[in-house]
Amino acid sequence: MSLLADVLTVLLNGLQQGAIFALLAVGLSIILGTLKFVNFAHGALYVVGTYTGLLVAHEIALTSGKLQSWGFTSLGLDLGFFAALVVVPLFVFVVGLGMERFVARPFYDRPDTDQILVTFGLAIVVQELFRILFGSNSLPFDQPAWAAGPIALPVVGNFSQWRLYVIAITAVLVLVVYALVEYTDFGLVVRAGTRDAEMVRLLGIKITRPYIVVFGIGAALAGVAGVVGGPLNVVNPTVGTDILVPAFLTVVIGGVGSIVGAVIGGVIFGLTTATLVAVAPAWSQIGLYAIAAVILLTRPQGILGNEEVAP
Amino acid sequence: MSDETQDATAQGAAPSEGVAEKEGFAGYELDTAREPVVVGATALFVLVFPYVFARMPVVSGILQGYQGLATLMLIWGIFALGFDLLLGYTGLLSFGHAAFWGGSAYAAGVFSQFAAESLGFEAGPVIIVVVGTLFAVLLAWGLGFLSLRRGGIYFSILTLAFAQMMFYLSSAPLSGITGGENGFTAVTVGHLFGVFELESELPSVLGTLMGTWLYAFVGLMTVVSVAVAYRILNSPYGMVFRAIRENEQRTEFVGLNVWRYKLMSFVISGAFAGVAGSLFTIHGNYVPLQSLYWTESGEIVIMAVLGGAGSLFGPMLGAGIYLYFENIVSGVRDLTVPFTDIVLLQGFGEYWHLLLGVLFVLVVWFFPRGIWGLFQDLRNRVTGGDSAAETGGER
Amino acid sequence: MALLETDGLVKEFGGLVATDDVNLTVNEDERVSIIGPNGAGKSTLINLITRRLDPTEGDIRFKGESIVKMEPHEVVQRGVSKSFQTASIFPDLTVRENAEIAALAAERGSFGFDFLTHRRKLHGVHEVAADTLDAVGLLDRAETPAEDLPYGDKRRLEIGIALASEPDLLLMDEPTAGMSPEETRSTVDLIEEVKERMGLTFVLVEHDMEIVFSISDRIVVLNRGRVIAEGTPDEIRGDEQVQEAYLGGVEL
Repeated sequence: MSLLADVLTVLLNGLQQGAIFALLAVGLSIILGTLKFVNFAHGALYVVGTYTGLLVAHEIALTSGKLQSWGFTSLGLDLGFFAALVVVPLFVFVVGLGMERFVARPFYDRPDTDQILVTFGLAIVVQELFRILFGSNSLPFDQPAWAAGPIALPVVGNFSQWRLYVIAITAVLVLVVYALVEYTDFGLVVRAGTRDAEMVRLLGIKITRPYIVVFGIGAALAGVAGVVGGPLNVVNPTVGTDILVPAFLTVVIGGVGSIVGAVIGGVIFGLTTATLVAVAPAWSQIGLYAIAAVILLTRPQGILGNEEVAP
Repeated sequence: MSDETQDATAQGAAPSEGVAEKEGFAGYELDTAREPVVVGATALFVLVFPYVFARMPVVSGILQGYQGLATLMLIWGIFALGFDLLLGYTGLLSFGHAAFWGGSAYAAGVFSQFAAESLGFEAGPVIIVVVGTLFAVLLAWGLGFLSLRRGGIYFSILTLAFAQMMFYLSSAPLSGITGGENGFTAVTVGHLFGVFELESELPSVLGTLMGTWLYAFVGLMTVVSVAVAYRILNSPYGMVFRAIRENEQRTEFVGLNVWRYKLMSFVISGAFAGVAGSLFTIHGNYVPLQSLYWTESGEIVIMAVLGGAGSLFGPMLGAGIYLYFENIVSGVRDLTVPFTDIVLLQGFGEYWHLLLGVLFVLVVWFFPRGIWGLFQDLRNRVTGGDSAAETGGER
Repeated sequence: MALLETDGLVKEFGGLVATDDVNLTVNEDERVSIIGPNGAGKSTLINLITRRLDPTEGDIRFKGESIVKMEPHEVVQRGVSKSFQTASIFPDLTVRENAEIAALAAERGSFGFDFLTHRRKLHGVHEVAADTLDAVGLLDRAETPAEDLPYGDKRRLEIGIALASEPDLLLMDEPTAGMSPEETRSTVDLIEEVKERMGLTFVLVEHDMEIVFSISDRIVVLNRGRVIAEGTPDEIRGDEQVQEAYLGGVEL
């Protein structure tokens, strides 16, 4: 193993972790930037995505929870991973629209802190529903057969195939969303909303309300993160609360409303974590928070944020 | 307290009485009378609560309470009381107060170990609380200094980030001191005032009412905390905090240093969390790593909002309700129709956290003044109104 | 004696020059009005003086001391108070408490460690608050929550808050904006009364020419960020440049 190979492995691991952060952060960021809605339940959307993905892709044996006590010893459609990759974003998109309509909308005109509180409460409710239905135990989420195991890369040597797929899938999805926002009429309004908060305030929030689609897209991305991240993370009810904090930090250091910023933030976090895991594992979780603190204190609006958006 | 006060008193005493009568400022005499009432009522409650909750015939049977939980409720009550000064009165939502709760709990534990192993004495509860609180105050000063550079949601996220940093620090790099994942177990607490064993029973009727010396100590700290909090709310700080919550810009533009008042609000709430965290260590003889995790910060948010942010007793009520659900409701096997054996819901206890979550969402949505606010509204309806005079000091 | 001086004051937003080389002097006991068409930079100028905005260039001196590096609350502590264009009050607090917040800052400074002092002991604060509320005619409503006041009274309270900070210089940003004719009249009376009673120096930004010409000692006319004329009401009334640029030739 050469040093170069080690460095490249760390780099790829970092990119893969950054990809998951970015998937979550892009959605969170456009929702916050456009609709000015703070969604502490974004992690819950990840949970919905990861459980739905698991049940679509595989059939799993249940060992605890209400579903098992109601007689379901195993559950799932076993349709394979591609099916999950199609079904989950659509499903979570709809969930996101519902969330916008029934939770976010009544809170647009209320203070930020109320938005945080109600979505935090919602996150707990979702977490507990999953705990009651599926039990507290982590469920196994197998990698798809076609992507399981290592692949031999030049210089790097053996590397997990699935991690490469995660990077690729994320890259494609983020590019699609970026193109949507950057080159369509729909995107024009999204950009207007994020870049010129003052203007939108003058026009009134009603202008942006028809674009609740943003909420759906953000939710769908969180759902996809749940699917592709499922085989790498654990699948249990609390994974949403665990992942929420890094996701929020990614948004804030990247700059609220900026897709590119969210990706950069994700990659910075991913690389930091992967490097520390390789060099000083005990500190691996701390680097992320330390970097976030430093960036926020030196550049409060985030790396690509503009001054006006940040209060 | 300060020279200024005396100056003001000396200059203003005689004429201002005239002003109060002549100009019709009636409120302050009520304020003065109310302070002993609030503190006295708290003391009375603290005195009889464990008996009613854990030992009183019939009532305790229905409530299913026990002594240890009564103590824990007061400890979290102190935490919630301090948190409310920040959230309910100053309007700042911190998602990082686990840092002060868990931090002081660790500081208290580590200090007790250090005293026992290196200094050769068993640290009593008073000094442990002092050390834990000092730690929390210093930490709050530092984290507040950094977090308060940003307002709104960014403040919430920054506090969250710094607190998580504390969690991961004690989980791995500092595990030699903190015990890492296993938590801190080497707590050694000496006797209260060097005389009374904390777990031993209080003499005679006090023993029946309050149970142990530990409870009496926690109860005393609770009464002191309520008295201090109530005084703060009726001090210039109380006015300035509410002014900041109502209209931060205007507060700056009447000539008040908003930033420093916010920092003080943060530090004061950190100090209350420090008292509570230290008591938590003394109570449990153990510090779980979980005490620093952000869900713990979330719990105190839920308690304060559920009970009623922006009121003196609401958050303490919220703490009681939360702990009751967590410890008693969670143990209920089946929900039955009262006084019968008809089972409504099997395994009811499992739903405790879900129920709390739903209750919390409902409160945020429909009753921003919390359960305490509901009580006040009900009372107003019954008495036909004007509670403003009664609650004016801490509205 | 000059109380407030601005020296070559410039404020640019991106490419837009909102304040362009303004040299303004306000003497003690003087009533100065700043007028000008929409977008002339009146509010920007006020916001620069109160330190809500940072100037791009230039200096602002109050009582001979430069205040451009100060925080807003420090400027207020030195004696510059501002009443806002909208009713910027503390809605959940009582009228009395609204006035007391400002009196507190005036009597006890921008910060103190007196968190264990009961507020009933703040006699000086009560006195200033009571006097101020008396002056703005709200003393009999002292125990009313501020949000329950009618709009005109909220604006009076807003002016009261500014007065309770015991300023040497009061900046008033369109004190009659959004008021009914009766409310406007009573506010003008209030300003006149304050002028008599407290002998304040003030700078008024106002659209209503009637008010401006009746209560000002001197008028400063801004257009596109620049001072285009300055003088007594009579001089301004006769100034052709002003009529041309601002009043559109209308005879006053």
